[in-house]
Amino acid sequence: MIKVEHLTKRYGTFTAVDDLSFEARHGEILGFLGPNGAGKTTTMRILTGFMPPTGGHATVAGYDVFTESMQVRHLVGYMPETVPLYPDMSVRGYLEFMAELRRIPNRRARVREALARVDMLDRAESLVRNLSKGLRQRVGLAQAIIHDPPVLILDEPTIGLDPRQVLAVRSLVRELGKDHTVMFSTHILSEAEQICDRVLIIHQGRAIAAGPPQTLRDELQKSGRVFVRIGGASTDAEELVALLERVPSVARVEAMDTGFAVTAWGGKDIRPAIARAVTEAGRPLLELRPLAMTLEDIFLEVTQVDDVEAGGA
Amino acid sequence: MNDHQAESRYEVPPPALTGSVWAIFKRELGQYFVSPIAYFVAFVILLIMGLAFNAYLEIWKDQRTTASAPALVGFFVSLMVFMAPLLTMRLLAEENREGTIELLLTMPVRDIDIVLGKFLGAWAYYTLLLLVTVVYQLILASVAQPDMGAAIASYIGAWLYGGASLAVGLMFSALTENQIVAGFLGLSALMVMFQANTFALSISDPNLRELVRALSTGTHYYRSFANGIVRLEDVLFFVFVMAGALFVAVRMVESRRWR
Repeated sequence: MIKVEHLTKRYGTFTAVDDLSFEARHGEILGFLGPNGAGKTTTMRILTGFMPPTGGHATVAGYDVFTESMQVRHLVGYMPETVPLYPDMSVRGYLEFMAELRRIPNRRARVREALARVDMLDRAESLVRNLSKGLRQRVGLAQAIIHDPPVLILDEPTIGLDPRQVLAVRSLVRELGKDHTVMFSTHILSEAEQICDRVLIIHQGRAIAAGPPQTLRDELQKSGRVFVRIGGASTDAEELVALLERVPSVARVEAMDTGFAVTAWGGKDIRPAIARAVTEAGRPLLELRPLAMTLEDIFLEVTQVDDVEAGGA
Repeated sequence: MNDHQAESRYEVPPPALTGSVWAIFKRELGQYFVSPIAYFVAFVILLIMGLAFNAYLEIWKDQRTTASAPALVGFFVSLMVFMAPLLTMRLLAEENREGTIELLLTMPVRDIDIVLGKFLGAWAYYTLLLLVTVVYQLILASVAQPDMGAAIASYIGAWLYGGASLAVGLMFSALTENQIVAGFLGLSALMVMFQANTFALSISDPNLRELVRALSTGTHYYRSFANGIVRLEDVLFFVFVMAGALFVAVRMVESRRWR
């Protein structure tokens, strides 16, 4: 549904998006992950026809975003990062205006449907200016789905919301993902992990990793890490570190919470070896579990490598 | 065959003849009646017009001259230097500041539709203000015998003059995110245009002087419409000012895409 090929956007000498290529299939929720200033918003603005790319091209539902902009705009629902609302209008008035701009038939029914979808039927007559941040966000979403577009592009839909509202928006996005292609950006990694079918990590305008969250984690989890907690009378840390370091294949032992994080060479599973070593030393083994690398760790690792490269150049 | 052509194409609504001008026009005109500034402007204009009307009545009575309908309209026109920026400074500057322009520019709406819709909304509101002043003409007609033809000519002129002034104001609103800056620039430009025939007096080069005089909005109103004459060249002048200012405004809106 969304196809981006070698997309580049420069502002003067600054390159916001650098030779970016990716694809989002029909009915897929694509998480667009990256730190602030990574080029997420710029990419979305190009896809929605707000600004033209400097190089490369992109299509939405087969239409070129630059040469067939009007068609693309009909097929995309877009919620910009700062939800663009008119404070003087009522929720219903705003949505009807949006529906009229899009020239969709059965406007009243569509407005009602969109309001129902974001659970705001009871606030239809409220003035936008009197709405809380969370409700405004929902009006923004209602605006994006009013024409039931096949493609939804949401720029940081959960930013600035309280935890309960974040959950509500996430479940809404998940639900919309059942019958829409959704591309949404976030810098919260757990969010992408929870909602997305696929994640695209971008940094300094370039894609640095892509794939389903699970695969990404498996692929990038290079080092086998386990958490070990050892009990017993003597809890002298140095002694325990020495004990663990003697275990074959152990690369690094670090204190972590009430135990140790042990990293093995070459991603080996060293749990049996550790268990044996600890019991042989006559110590009770209280806890031994693999430390799953979160997307957060992956992200930090990948972007750090990049920063070092950039800094060294 | 391109692989993106292989993907099934979705149906989109055919382009509408008038685009989305009508939707934007309706919203803008409605906005004048939900924001206090429009009521305030209407109130002040009527108040000032009332004061002027009474003053004119006194003058006509004292001098025993014929009551002139265009005089009052001419006074209304002179207010437009201040009123047009007030009425238009919000139109695009607010969208630029609030970020709602991003939404409009990603709607299936042409840039020119946005500008035209807003301009026509402002012009319609202005037309309502102008029509309200007809009250004074009716009062005048009940106590004197003013020249009705001249009155109508002066209204046609005031309507065109107002359109041109609003277009200039809208152009400056498109330029900036700051309403005050938009209003001030619009006011300055309209002032210079209004007084260009006076400023031209200090220009020594005769050709340039004539050119500047020819560009004076004041001259194009007061030398013809104010005397009850509708001249094609003056009509065309205001139409060109409108078209030119709106063209620049569309370009300004377009340029938001490149920043």
